[in-house]
Amino acid sequence: MLKKMQLRKHAMTAISYMLPLVVASGLLIAIGNLMGGSVITKFTGNYSVASTFTTLGVWGMGLLAPVISAAIAYSIADRPGIAPGLLSGIISYNIGAGFLGGMLGGFLTGWVVLLLVKYIKVPKWAEGLVPMMIIPLLASIVMGIVMFFIVGQPIVWATNALTSFLNSMQGSARFAFGAILGGMAAFDFGGPVNKVASLFADGLLLQGVKQPEAVKILASMVPPFGVSLSWVFSRVFKRKIYTLEEEDNIKIAFPMGIVMITEGVIPLAAVDLIRMVASCSIGAAIGGGLSMSWGVESPVPSGGLFIVPAMNKPVLFLVALLIGSLATGVILFLWKRRVPEEQGGTVRSDEEEEINLDDIKIS
Amino acid sequence: MKIVGIAACTSGIAHTYIAREKIMKAAQELGYEIHMETQGTIGTENKLTAEQIKEADFVLLVIDIKIGGSERFAGKRVVEVPTNTAIKAPKKLLQTIIDKL
Repeated sequence: MLKKMQLRKHAMTAISYMLPLVVASGLLIAIGNLMGGSVITKFTGNYSVASTFTTLGVWGMGLLAPVISAAIAYSIADRPGIAPGLLSGIISYNIGAGFLGGMLGGFLTGWVVLLLVKYIKVPKWAEGLVPMMIIPLLASIVMGIVMFFIVGQPIVWATNALTSFLNSMQGSARFAFGAILGGMAAFDFGGPVNKVASLFADGLLLQGVKQPEAVKILASMVPPFGVSLSWVFSRVFKRKIYTLEEEDNIKIAFPMGIVMITEGVIPLAAVDLIRMVASCSIGAAIGGGLSMSWGVESPVPSGGLFIVPAMNKPVLFLVALLIGSLATGVILFLWKRRVPEEQGGTVRSDEEEEINLDDIKIS
Repeated sequence: MKIVGIAACTSGIAHTYIAREKIMKAAQELGYEIHMETQGTIGTENKLTAEQIKEADFVLLVIDIKIGGSERFAGKRVVEVPTNTAIKAPKKLLQTIIDKL
């Protein structure tokens, strides 16, 4: 049942549509703030270019809940989902249910629209009205009532509780939170566990909690940097732990890491899964814990090293990143098996992972 | 055996293209003709032609998200898998599908 509902796919579709918006808006805010801009409240007077950047970024962030909601509804119910999805999302934004409300609103809207499309039967002459008027109106009425009166307030309450809990965390709790988030974000190199962690961090950013976002950014860069460091160690100490092919992959993974794309290390993890996952998660957990403890905040969810200047404590962020990457690098260097000389250039790229393909369906 | 397919991942910048490459390579090594479209964040690339779709024995969707233009495959046999599956074991995936056809 759960699998058939494809919750994951719908959520991923929403993230996919949300990412460019969140990156552009976040960077606009960061650039605007760095130039001394602030949110414009009165448009009759004069305002600076910097302030227009900040303002546009803040407005863009405000669009996130509607975009998420619309994208989920679109993923579930196709085109008819978009209009009511946007409306559910704007309710969520305005009542303060934010990101979580947008997600839930999107799912509910999608399912409501699906039901309407399925069960509304009209005479032939009225068929044109169904997609243009009947479905958008009915879906919006139903979702309006649901969002305003039923699901909205509990989510506002839950969001506020979570936000104030995170803001009130102190000392070791902060470290533990950062470590868990960081470990999760690095655990599967951009896969589903990472997406859960980053969804969480992005959601909190919209609530104005900016520290998890810094942890996410750090944890996305630790694996590529850690692996690169272990390669440097292996060169310096003349202990060969990577095959020629793996070395080529590291040369690709490092520049990808600079822009916060973790996926470059996947080819390396594919041939040595346990060591890679363990060392990268540990390194990211250490870095994430430190970043959280030091209160590093990032107003931007994506962009890698280029957005470090926009953070509140860029130097501490880099220190945490370096410590995390060093941890990963040292563990990998000590733990990985030495590559026998005669196999220095072995190619294992044709090796495939064991994977269960029993439930593949052809429709 | 002729195959058409679409690759699309969440961030639309990495997995999409890795998956396409892996599947294309695996198919060529197994001796099948394949065309793969990508729907990344940049938009659709290597768009499938009506001809290619018409001639294909099945459609392979390597996707984590909803894709556009799925109505093009009406009446075709369609297999859907996440990008991870295609990246981890592309040959095995193709073999399994073809065995099941």
